[in-house]
Amino acid sequence: MSTEGAIAAVFREEASRICSSLVRQLGDFDLAEDLVQDALVTALERWPRDGIPAKPGAWLLQTARNRGIDMMRRDARYREKLHILAREPEPARREPDERLRLIFTCCHPALGREAQVALTLRAVLGMTTAEIAHAFLVPEATMAQRIVRAKRKIVEAKIPYRVPDAQALSARLHQVLTLLYLLYNEAYLSSGATHVTDRDLAADALWLCKLLTRLMPAQPEVLSLLALMRLHEARREGRFDGSGRIVLLRDQDRALWNRPRIRDAAALIERARRMGRPGPFWLQASIAACHAEAATFDDTDWPQVLALYGALAQLVPTPVVRLNRAIALKHVAGPAAALEEVEQLSESLHRYHLFHATRAELLREFGRLDEAAAADARALELTDNQAERELLRQRLAEDSR
Amino acid sequence: MKYMLMFMRSDESFLGDPQLEAQYAAIGRWFGELGQAGKYLQGDELQPAHNATTVRWDSDSAVVTDGPFMEAKEHIAGYAVVDAADLDEAIAIASRWPAHGHAVEIRPVIDHDQH
Repeated sequence: MSTEGAIAAVFREEASRICSSLVRQLGDFDLAEDLVQDALVTALERWPRDGIPAKPGAWLLQTARNRGIDMMRRDARYREKLHILAREPEPARREPDERLRLIFTCCHPALGREAQVALTLRAVLGMTTAEIAHAFLVPEATMAQRIVRAKRKIVEAKIPYRVPDAQALSARLHQVLTLLYLLYNEAYLSSGATHVTDRDLAADALWLCKLLTRLMPAQPEVLSLLALMRLHEARREGRFDGSGRIVLLRDQDRALWNRPRIRDAAALIERARRMGRPGPFWLQASIAACHAEAATFDDTDWPQVLALYGALAQLVPTPVVRLNRAIALKHVAGPAAALEEVEQLSESLHRYHLFHATRAELLREFGRLDEAAAADARALELTDNQAERELLRQRLAEDSR
Repeated sequence: MKYMLMFMRSDESFLGDPQLEAQYAAIGRWFGELGQAGKYLQGDELQPAHNATTVRWDSDSAVVTDGPFMEAKEHIAGYAVVDAADLDEAIAIASRWPAHGHAVEIRPVIDHDQH
């Protein structure tokens, strides 16, 4: 592993522990989070030169505390907190719910989605503001401003630092998992394109999901999301060709898929199934497993995929789920039924590139090539993802031949 | 911590609602429960926005105009100031508001005594 990679792995492991422990001691999320960030930035300056210390977690905590003590001596507002940090360092407690509190606070629905992502990456995964800005292609000042605003709202509107109560837990957990999956997908989809990030955000999302399975072992949806991500990981090799172009599921070389990992993920899905009612991530993981376990594209159990999408559409009645269900419908009931379903979604999905790309594929089945090309062209206008753009351009070139 | 819950609605859709009576009864119960829990501080229902009058200043002279401050479709139909431990409790209270044709905007109230 490169030094940068090793440092990132240490940060990921330690940042959320130190942060949650300082929040508990100081009772001040904003301050604690800033101190951790300062310690990470200091480590990034020193570790590549001096090497990673033997106890990196203790080093980071001590650096954060020293920085806090300095600041508090200078700033009267914090003076009463000084004695807390000046005491002998408490070892970072390993109580699971401390980190859970941190995660739920960073992902609070009263914060905008972008702010949730930025705060989670910073406070939970130990990324610096500069790295986050770089990953999301925004100026560092913009990202810093976003984080400052979010933290101000946490303090001023009094967003609590705690795991939601039983009544709100399932909805709030779903939001956390959705954020993780978005993060994962964003990174996973861009992996075939030019590398815009130095850090593998997909690995970060996977790591955090794994952590959640340890912190909330009785939640089937967490296990299911982990299974879903692992199914994507198991098929990663087949998704892009040598030059970074997307290979469609139909055309992937299934010998490149990691069968043992697929079996492990399937076992996770089975474990989650025994734990309770199927949730949205369980259904998505099961759909992914149907694809992953099929020996060939034609062997896919399409009626099962269709049934799972039907159940998903009941739980999450969004147009995107209906679009995916329509694709399964094509393989069960034929392209005419699928196209009819897709056309009904034109109003709600006209700004979604995959709606147009799916419609193009169906139109091609009926030889309506001009309309198909127009739909692909529209899809091309609507996506910035380089790998997807390449695929669409390729299809458009074939159409005009 | 004090939060003001502002009940936002489009006046036409609310006043034309055939379930209006039932809604008022449910809203009455919501206030009653909040009061019993000791979390209700104050609140009012407002007349529709077409009865609004706005005062602004041009240099230093007050200029009075007909209508609400913002030309929006939704207006504040009423408000309640509640005493909640934190934003999550305020969200839980707002989530129990029975008139689902409304949106509830939650605004923390500045406590000048604390400064």
